[in-house]
Amino acid sequence: MSHTTTHSPMPRKASLQEVITRNLAILGPATMILLLMAFMLIAEPARFFRTSNFEIILLEAALFMPMAVGMTFVIAQRGIDLSIGSVAALSALIMAFLIKQYGFSPYIGILVAIAIGATLGAINGLVVTKLNVPDLIGTMAMDLVYRGIALVLAKGLVLAKFPEIITTIGRGRIDGFLPVPVLIGIASIVIGHIVLTRTYFGRYALGIGSDPEAAEMAGIAVHRQRVFAYALMGALAGLAGVMLAGKLNSIQATSASFLNLHVIAAVVVGGTSLFGGRASMLGALCGVILLAMITNATIILRIEFFWQSVAAGAVIVISVATYSWLQAQDKDGTGGFAAALFTRQNLSIFKFIGGLIAALIALLILGSTLGNGIPAP
Amino acid sequence: MSDLSTGPNRARAPVVRMSGIVKRFGGATALDGVDLEACAGEVLAIVGDNGAGKSTLIKILTGVLQPTEGQLFCDEKPIVLNGREDAIRLGIDAVYQTLALSGDLTPTANIFLGNELTKSILGVPFLDNTRMKTEATKVLFDRFGTRLPDMDAPTNSLSGGQRQAVAIARAIYHADLRVLVMDEPTAALGPQETARTLTLIDTLRAQGMAIILISHSLDDVFSIADRIQVMRRGKRIGVVNVTDTTNEEVLGMIVGAKTEEAAA
Repeated sequence: MSHTTTHSPMPRKASLQEVITRNLAILGPATMILLLMAFMLIAEPARFFRTSNFEIILLEAALFMPMAVGMTFVIAQRGIDLSIGSVAALSALIMAFLIKQYGFSPYIGILVAIAIGATLGAINGLVVTKLNVPDLIGTMAMDLVYRGIALVLAKGLVLAKFPEIITTIGRGRIDGFLPVPVLIGIASIVIGHIVLTRTYFGRYALGIGSDPEAAEMAGIAVHRQRVFAYALMGALAGLAGVMLAGKLNSIQATSASFLNLHVIAAVVVGGTSLFGGRASMLGALCGVILLAMITNATIILRIEFFWQSVAAGAVIVISVATYSWLQAQDKDGTGGFAAALFTRQNLSIFKFIGGLIAALIALLILGSTLGNGIPAP
Repeated sequence: MSDLSTGPNRARAPVVRMSGIVKRFGGATALDGVDLEACAGEVLAIVGDNGAGKSTLIKILTGVLQPTEGQLFCDEKPIVLNGREDAIRLGIDAVYQTLALSGDLTPTANIFLGNELTKSILGVPFLDNTRMKTEATKVLFDRFGTRLPDMDAPTNSLSGGQRQAVAIARAIYHADLRVLVMDEPTAALGPQETARTLTLIDTLRAQGMAIILISHSLDDVFSIADRIQVMRRGKRIGVVNVTDTTNEEVLGMIVGAKTEEAAA
């Protein structure tokens, strides 16, 4: 045996920076959770730090956990699914009709909801892979389709009062232990973690997301794996639909319309790269809890509900930007944040934006001074 | 066209031999009766200008393309390759310039991508990550003496030479590889990484592998190859022993300075 090309004689230990970078998926959202808790400790400690409130947070998070698992697989293979809110609503709505109007057993109804979710997800997968519609456009268009079908079916009806098994799934609890939906959510995360790290499906999702052509050359059936990922996403959205129906004990066509970006935000905050190839199920769990905590904090601080959407959007941009910056730094190995910020090109961008803002302020001042003379109608 | 008797003496029988290979794409003739012989423990370099037919030739050798005419032999037995799998089964595989590695995955995951080792738990196949890592570490060290600093780091954090080792390790792990085609392995590398890659090739040659090296760099070819096959416009112009020729002579054959008149 020839040992002439020993590049590095000893396996070295990973440096602290590498340890941090590698575990950023959990450290990132965990830090944000701690910061949020520190803020709440000052702002509203009495109402935030209560066992009952933490249970509310967990209940809120539980609904998103199965979908975060599915979305992690979809994003890991470099896809995205913007239709999951509609998939959840449509699956749950059909289940509700089958149970309420056709006398189906609720157990069968639940399985039907999950199967419909999987089917709708598989359709998404086919649109993206076989019809070559870019995932962003394809799933957004299918979102319109599924939501439209739900609206047509429901005709404005609200279906309510479900059998006990469904409300148990949505809001029941095992005495002295945890609420049922929290158990379902945590189970889905644990299974998702095992599937991601220890099965062909998880490995191929990462391989495809990292480099689709290399995956193809390695003999992976790329299209089939993609369709599977979307189908899994759909099935878990169907499950979330059942949980939502049980939690509210009612369902309507417009339910679950804020889910898409919320789930994507949770997954991305948890260190799953939007460019594919990197994913973390435990990160997704942290992300889901962080977003549930933000929602909860806005309610406790009596901030208007719609600020949540602002928060979810801001969280996505901040975390993706942070990961991109870290990755670029990984590759070049040069320059601090300030050096990257104040390049010549960036300076001219800053000037441009500064000019825009100045023009806007000038227009507002002009409008308010000129408008003074004219009486309002 | 090419006279075999002017080529170097070959004491050993070739592992693979291509004879009279013709490949036409519609009206265009990419290969016009090309021969090739690759022997165990030898580096055969294929050189030629762009469009000389090098890539088409190795695609036929690795089963990616099928020849219009001509015959392939493995151990002097005629073979038909209907796909890359057929070639791999016979121990023939190629590593391309892009290496086709997934940058975000670990070296281990790359070596086993598509061929993962599993252990069955209740009848369900689960990836055996521990065993794959042990095996990957072993193949890298045993075959190349390479010990990666961190087997859990993503592959795109490795150096060019290390990535090359991972790509070749993947090829040799999954087949009893006897013929390795390397397409422009040093094209994107700096001098130090190029030297490492050439050492890698040397190691494989010492282990008895037949290596077919496609390269534009005559410096690399002269420092590592045993024989050089020169191609021009879909034909084999000649095969020369590295020890019997000079850089200038090969360059002359590539651009067609004198051989054409001599052959005609």
